[in-house]
Amino acid sequence: MSLLKLEALSKKFGDHWALKEIDFSIAEGEIVGLVGPNGAGKTTLFNLITCRHRPTSGRVLFANKETTLCQPHEIQKLGISRTFQSSRPFAKMSALDNVVVGRVFGGHFHLFAQSTDIDSARQLLELVGLAHKEQTPAGDLTLSEQRRLDLARALATQPRLLLLDEVVAGFSPAAVKQAVDLVRRVRQRGVTLFIIDHFLSLSLRVSDRLLALDHGEKVAEGRPQEVMRNRGVIRAYLGTRHEDESHGE
Amino acid sequence: MPKKETTSQKAIQRQVAWAVLGLVFLLLLPVFARYSDYVLQVFTHALLLATLAWAWNILGVSGSISLGHAAFFGAGAYTSAILSLDLGLSPWATIPLGGVLAAGIAAIMGLFCLRLRGAYFALATLAFVEIPKVITDNWDGLTRGSLGLVGLPGLPSLRLGSYHLDVSGSLVGSYYFVLSYGLVLLVLVTLMFRSNLGLAFQAIREEEIAAEAVGIEVQRYRLLSLLLSAFFTGITGACYGHLIRYLEPGLVYGLHFSAIPMIFAICGGRFTILGPALAALVLYPVDQFIFHPLLPAGHEFLYGAVIILAILFVPSGVWGQLRKGHFVSIKTGSIE
Repeated sequence: MSLLKLEALSKKFGDHWALKEIDFSIAEGEIVGLVGPNGAGKTTLFNLITCRHRPTSGRVLFANKETTLCQPHEIQKLGISRTFQSSRPFAKMSALDNVVVGRVFGGHFHLFAQSTDIDSARQLLELVGLAHKEQTPAGDLTLSEQRRLDLARALATQPRLLLLDEVVAGFSPAAVKQAVDLVRRVRQRGVTLFIIDHFLSLSLRVSDRLLALDHGEKVAEGRPQEVMRNRGVIRAYLGTRHEDESHGE
Repeated sequence: MPKKETTSQKAIQRQVAWAVLGLVFLLLLPVFARYSDYVLQVFTHALLLATLAWAWNILGVSGSISLGHAAFFGAGAYTSAILSLDLGLSPWATIPLGGVLAAGIAAIMGLFCLRLRGAYFALATLAFVEIPKVITDNWDGLTRGSLGLVGLPGLPSLRLGSYHLDVSGSLVGSYYFVLSYGLVLLVLVTLMFRSNLGLAFQAIREEEIAAEAVGIEVQRYRLLSLLLSAFFTGITGACYGHLIRYLEPGLVYGLHFSAIPMIFAICGGRFTILGPALAALVLYPVDQFIFHPLLPAGHEFLYGAVIILAILFVPSGVWGQLRKGHFVSIKTGSIE
C-alpha cells in the first residue's frame, strides 16, 4: 500500500510548466531519491506535497487521504515534515530550542515544555551530532550544522514521511558518508524518506528507488542502477553530445 | 555537560542578584524620594511606561513592529473612564473591560493588518490609530469629543488584611500600585515567553516558513500575540486615566504612546524579558531629570538620538547585547 500517491500532478508558473502530469507513489518504509538537473521541478514537487504551492491540476494523497488543498501546518499534523534547500533555522534561538519547537508543535500542543520534550530533543541533537552545540544560537552554526539541525527539527515532529531537500549539497565526501549513516538510522526509526539530491551522492547509496525529472516531466523511475542507465536521464544530466558514452557519473 | 551547567547557574545567580537589587531600589524609592513629589511622579510614570513596553513587546517578540499601540492605550483609557463615570462602576471592574475592548479593536486591526509583514505592517498600524481616534473625537455624546473627560474617579484604596494602600489619594500609593501592576505583568510575561506560546512567537519571528512546516499555525499565533499585547496595553491605558484623572483624544491616541513603548523595547532589547522595562526605568528618568532642565523645549531629542544610536550600535538592544545571543530560552533557565 502506498503512503504517498501523486496523481497526474501538474504545476504551471505563468506559461511555464514546472511539473507536468507526474504519477508516482511511495510505499511505507521506502527511501526514494528525487533526481534531476537544475530546474527539473524537484523542489516544486516538494512544495506541492507540503502544500506550500497549489497544483494547477492533479491530486496528492497521503495515507489514502487527499491532501492536495491542505494548509502547510495541517500537512505536518498528518505526518509529513521537510527540510529546506537552504536551511531555515530559528537563528536567534538555541539549537536545543529549535528542536524543542519541532517536538512541541509536531505533537499535541501543551503550554509548557516537559522534560520528556527536552530529553527527546537532546537525543535528536545527539543523533545528528550536535549534542555539544545545544546552547549555541542556531544562526551561529556552520552551514552543514544548520542542515543537520533542520533534520533534527523535522524528525522531532515525528513524521511518517520526511522530505529532505538537498541535505548534503556542498558536503565533503566524509560528511556525505556520515549523512548516509544518518539517513539509514532515520529509516530504522520507521520513517519513510523522499530525498532530493541533485548530485546523486546520497541517493545512489541509500535509495531503494529513484524518480528522475527533467523539465517538469518524469523521465524515469525504478532501481537506482536502472535509472542511471536510462538514456533520458543521461541526456538530462550530460546533454546529447555525450549520449554515446554509456554511463554518466 | 556539567561545566556548562555551572556557568549558566552562575549567570542565573548573578541575574537574580541584580534583579533583587533593582527590586529593593524600586521598593525603597518612596523612602528616599519622600521630600520630592516630582521624583516619585517621574518614577510612577516610568513604571507605567515599563508596563507599556512589556505589553508592546508581547507582539514585538513575535516579530511584528507596531506603530499603532496608542489605539489600544486610548481605547482602554476611554472605555474604563466612560464606564466608571457614566455607570458609576468601580475602576477595578472597568479597567479589565478597557483591556477587553482594546483586544477587540486589536482583532479588527488584525483582520486588516496581519496579512502584512515588516514595514508594511508597521505603516498599516500607524494609520489604524486614526480610526479609534476619530471615533472618540467625534462621538460627543459618549466621549465629550475633543473637550475630553475630566474628573475621572481615582483608584479606590486597596485593603490587604490590616494593610491599607491609599492608591489615588497619595503619590506613594499610586507609585506602589503601578509597581505592583508592573510586577504582576513581569510574572505573566515571563511565564508567557518561557512557555510554548513564547516558543511559537519566537519561531514565527525567526523563520515563518519553517515555523509553518513544523506545524505552527502562524496567523493564529500572530493574532494571539497581538490580542494579548493589546489587552495589557489597554489595561495600562485605563490605569493611566484613573491616575491622571482626565483624558483627551489627542493625549491618549497621540504618537507618543505608540512610539515610546517601541523605543524602550528596541533600546532595551526586543527579544528579552527585562530589557524593555529597564530602558523605560532608565531613559525616562534621565530624560526628565537631566535633559528636560537642560533643553526644556527639545528634550525629546534624547529619544531620537538614543534610538538612532541603539539601532546603529546595539541592534539587539542594550540588555540583549549584554546577554550576547542568549535570548528567552525555555531551557537555559535564565531569567533574562
